[in-house]
This record gives sequence, C-alpha cells and structure tokens, in this order.
Amino acid sequence: MNEHPVRIAQISCGPEHSGVQKEIYDAAEAVNAEMFFPDVTLTDIRRSYDAFGLEARSGDLKLAIARAMALVEQKVEADAVFIATCFRCAEAATVRNELRRYIHEHSDLPVVSYSFTERTTSGTLLTRMEALTTIARRRALLAREKQNGTTMGIDSGSATTKAVVMQDNEIIGTGWLPSTEVMNSANGVIEAALKEAGLEMTDIEAIGTTGYGRYLVGEKLGVDLIQEELTVNSKGAVYLADRQHGEATVIDIGGMDNKAISVQDGIPGVFTMGGICAGASGRFLELTAQRIGVDITELGPIAMKGNSNVVPMNSYCIVFGTQSLVNALAKGSSKEDVAAAACRSVAEQVFEQQLQEVDIKEPVIMVGGTSLIEGLVHEMGELLQTKILVPHHSQYIGSVGSALLASGFIEEK
Amino acid sequence: MAKVFIFPATSLILSDMVERWGHEALGAATGIRERIQTPSLDSPPLQMTPEDPKKGLKYAAVEVPCGVRGRMAIYGPLIEEADAAIIINDADLSFGCMGCARTNELVMFMVRQQKGLPLLDIKYPETEDEGVAFVTQIKEFLAGLEGEINE
Amino acid sequence: MSRTEYIPTYVGTVTKYVFIDSPDFTPQTLVIRAYEISEGLLIKETCFGLQVTGEPEKVKNLIKELRTVDPTHIFVKDRGFPPGDTRRCRANLGGARPGYYGHEFESGLFRYISHGLKELEKNTAPTVTRLGKKKLDEGKLPLNKLVEIINNEEA
Repeated sequence: MNEHPVRIAQISCGPEHSGVQKEIYDAAEAVNAEMFFPDVTLTDIRRSYDAFGLEARSGDLKLAIARAMALVEQKVEADAVFIATCFRCAEAATVRNELRRYIHEHSDLPVVSYSFTERTTSGTLLTRMEALTTIARRRALLAREKQNGTTMGIDSGSATTKAVVMQDNEIIGTGWLPSTEVMNSANGVIEAALKEAGLEMTDIEAIGTTGYGRYLVGEKLGVDLIQEELTVNSKGAVYLADRQHGEATVIDIGGMDNKAISVQDGIPGVFTMGGICAGASGRFLELTAQRIGVDITELGPIAMKGNSNVVPMNSYCIVFGTQSLVNALAKGSSKEDVAAAACRSVAEQVFEQQLQEVDIKEPVIMVGGTSLIEGLVHEMGELLQTKILVPHHSQYIGSVGSALLASGFIEEK
Repeated sequence: MAKVFIFPATSLILSDMVERWGHEALGAATGIRERIQTPSLDSPPLQMTPEDPKKGLKYAAVEVPCGVRGRMAIYGPLIEEADAAIIINDADLSFGCMGCARTNELVMFMVRQQKGLPLLDIKYPETEDEGVAFVTQIKEFLAGLEGEINE
Repeated sequence: MSRTEYIPTYVGTVTKYVFIDSPDFTPQTLVIRAYEISEGLLIKETCFGLQVTGEPEKVKNLIKELRTVDPTHIFVKDRGFPPGDTRRCRANLGGARPGYYGHEFESGLFRYISHGLKELEKNTAPTVTRLGKKKLDEGKLPLNKLVEIINNEEA
C-alpha cells in the first residue's frame, strides 16, 4: 500500500491497563492506519471539563473529554476517531456515549465506539478499523449513487452467501445459498446469478466482495474491491431504499452479528457491530422456526398473527432463549405467539445492545436476510416507534452495495 | 528505611518527599518498571498483558471492569508489601495509572483495610502556609516510622 | 495476531526524573553538575531538568549530590520507563503521555512545597494546621444551627 496511513485519534480509558492497547495498534496497522493521542495541555483539560459540563471523576475521562474537544475545535487534525472504554464501567459508558454524540454532531469525522474486555483481540477490532479507514480514505468512491456497466457483488456471509449481477443501475441476476465451504458457496451463487442474468463471467467488468469470506473470495477471483460490510451495507441500504441524501439509520441483524449504522448522505458516521450471543441474531429465529416446525420463510407471517406479549422470552443467551421457547410450547402456547415472542426478543436484544450506541435518525432501514421476517421488522418498529423501511432485494444488500461500489473501478480500467 | 505506598501512585511530590527523607516510595513507577524490565510478550506501552486483569481478580470481582482489575494488579501487591502509606485525598487531576476513579476508590479502601499500617491522610497545599503544613506532616510521619520499623 | 517476544533493555537499572524550579539555577546548570559526577550513569537533559538512569546505588548517590545544588527547589521522581522509550515518547504517541499532565499539575504546587521546605530548614516552623481527609459532612451547617437561624429570622 502506497497510500498515507489514515490517522485515527484514540480517545480512551483503560486499554493500556487491560493489555489491549497492542490489539488496537495491530488492528490499525492491518488496515494501514495509525493510532494517535490528540495532544492537549493541562489547561485544555481544565477548560474542556468545565465547558463540556459532564462531571466525570476519572482523570482519564477528563482527558478524553479534552481530546474530543480538541478534535471538534480542529486544534488537532484527524481522519477518524476511535472511542474505547472498559466494558461494564458505567462512568465511562456515559462519557463514551456523550463524546460519540458530540463528535458526530459537531464534525464530519467518522467515529466508532467500543467497550472492550481483556479478551478483546485485534481480529474483533479489524472490521471496525477497516470501516473507519474506508470512510476516511474512500469518500469519493462512497459518494457513488448509480451503478454503471456490468458488475457483480458477492457477499460471503457467516450464514448465507449471496451474489448479484447488475447492469446499468438494475439488478439482473441473483444467487443465494447457505454458507458451507466458502469458495464452493461463492461459486454456486455466482453461477446462479450469471444464469439468471444470461451472462458469462467474461461479461462482468468489475467485481466487489464483502462479508466474512471477502478476502478469500476476493483473492481467488482477483476482484476489484474487497470491502467490509459496514460501509458496503450502508451504501447498499440507502441506494435500494432511495434515501441517498440526508440522514438514515441502517439495521442489519445478521447470522452471527448485528450492525447498527448511523448514515449521513450514504456514508456511515457512527456504527456499532457485535452481539453478545447468537440469541440476538438470525440464528435464534432459525432455531425458532425449526422448533415450531415451519420454514424460516414462514416464520414472519406466522409471527404477525401472534401476540408477543403473552409469551415470556429473553434470548440474551441462545441456550436460555431456547429453554423459554420449549417451555412456552410445552405450556400450550400457540406457535403464532411463540414466533412473535422470538421476534420480539431478538428485536429487544438488538435494541438494548446495539441501538443505544447510535442515534436513531429516520428513516430506519432494515436489511439483510432477517429483514424478510416481517414479524421481526414489526417488533423493531414497535420498539423504535417508527415505520421501518425494508427495500426490495434487502437480503442481497451486501452484494448490491459491492456491485454498486465496484462499478467505480470500471473507468479506471 | 520503610517502604511507603504513595497515593496518587504517580505523585511526583510524594515520590520526592519519601525518598528525600530516606525511605523508599512504592508507586506506579515501581510496578511499571517491574513489567518493563521483564521479558514477556510484547504489549506496549506498559507491558501490561491480558494476564494483568486476571491477576487483578485477587483484588476485585470479575464483574469489575478490566481496566480496574489491570490497575489493581499493579497496586494490590505494592499495598501488601508496604510498611506505611501516604494518601493525598483531593488528587482529582491524576491521569494514566491513576486515571480511573473506581480504581482509586478501591486502592484507598484497600490501604485503609490493612491492619496496623501507619497511614497519613493529607491534601494538596493551596497556599504557602498549607505548604508548610504539608511538608511538616510528611516529615514527622516518616520520622515516626523509623521507630516502628526498628521495633 | 500473534504477539512477538519482548526483550527488555536497561534491566536492573532505575530511572529518576530530576525537576528544578529554582530562581537561582537553570536546568542547564544542573545538567552540567550531573555530567561532572555522572560516573558512567546515563544523563538525559530535559526542559524541566534531567533524567538519570543506571545502577540504583549510583543513581541514589548522584541524586544526593544534585540535591545539594538547591535543596528546596529540586524535586526527584521515580520512573518506570528508561529515558527516550518510544512507547512513551510524545513524537510517537501524537500527544503527551498521561503522566505528563500529572507532572504539569504538581509542578504548579512546587512553590508551596519549596516554601514549606525552607520553613522546615529554619527549624522555626510555626505550629501548623493539619491537613487531612475531609469527612462527608465536614463544612456543612449542622441541623440545630439551621433551626436556630430560622428561629432568629422569624423572631
């Protein structure tokens, strides 16, 4: 890589004493970024603390406030901001959230906030760092609003693999398979998408990949763009929902983890990614469908007929969630009510764990395979008190975003 | 010579006072030096590794944030080793190793819990007269330790 | 990502910061004096004074000697890192290490400490008011006093 490293300002409390600072450095280095600590003086710390008005007692949080203000006031230049504090620290969580909001509202710096434990590894941080650097480095590419030429996007996800072929701003072929061996699944969906489009691989002018298997698939196929799913999915979501300008919130409940992204003009501003347990993911809904003996595609309509309030369910942990499921069925609850409760439970987990970290701005767009489960979309809408948008082809979001962004590479060829 | 745990453990003034009058200050530098001078896995900047928050479990429960437990892995052993302690009570502008208020509460509590540990409670001077009080109290306290240590 | 092995340097040494905040002597004077008596110790000049690194006993002797230059205006602090360590260097971090702000704060109090030390030296230090731990209710108006005030107001 010949590009200059992206400079990410670190605002944190605790990583050095938790043994995870090296992991932060490693994750940044892997995406050609460098971490730095905004320089302030003791006078700045005193002034910022008084001006910001949040009375944190910890010295390092006072320092964090001063560093955030130095960035917003442009006394220190940065390309992106990484805010990190210890998991389970209430004082730090308050400061982290308020600083995240403050930076987002008063600057156009992309921000990611994260609460770590001593088990946090560079691998966990990598996708977040990659997204931060993409936003900083590829603003021009992310500004693309139309797909040109003939391109393909492949989303090698943890649960499913998807591909689309696009031509002149239209989707003309799709492929979908459960993920097994990464390349087999990718080849399968490519074949299906090409067949539907009536094209050959040689007709494709540019390819983009995303998802967990993006590097492997990308390298094997020699693609033009290998990109993490945070930026790709936000781009895909606002493109398909025709909300490319202004604010939006993108929610993607995936097979293994969930993403909540606050988007401005199609570019992610603040995002979170994670999920404590599969109980807060699409996996739990698959399991629910199996238990009540229906196909996952039927779960949504069934849930819409049920009442989520009559069955107690908490899928904070997939094991306990499954127990509640079995108990409810044993007590004679209807499969409609159980399906609705499962949707409610997943929506609540995402609401509590992810959505607290981003500011919900309308429209809220739900994407990914789980957005087809209308019971889940309904429950999420109830929790957020808003009508949620689910664009067409929402299950192909990563592929569409990749195909759209990849078309930016055609002119370069 | 007594080993005196200082709080804030990063205090320049306390480090000076204790060593000026012939004793050894136990502070952040003591714990960090030990890590910096021991071969291990590379873990900049402090050479603290994820093992530290685990060692900190001796002093704080698993539900306590990792940054608190990691810091306790530095201070816990120092407090146990100390012959005496000096606490500055209004150290609101301490950072880094002393940058976490929750750790600092626990450190002060742990010091107070040590049975028979001579302890001087003090505050930062804000006037010249308080400066006189500050150094006088510390000098007297440290002089008093000579007898106790030799007994 | 796998972690590489860390091989420490300066093992068995100690490092001390020496701060000088004196109307009569500059940090340079102190550094020159330190070089004169350094006996192979590593001396590093800084804006506030110097850092010295080496065998503990030798460092102790050097500090003892340096303090005689201006006893009430020289302050010494223990340091965990050797001098110029890249992990703690401002040039690499982008900003000051957190400990720097602590120094900045406490060096603002040097004048009170110096005054106290001078008074102690005179051995005529007046009886001083002790500074201790503030109790939770310290400085608050006792309830009976409040009642008294209210009653007086009403009278």
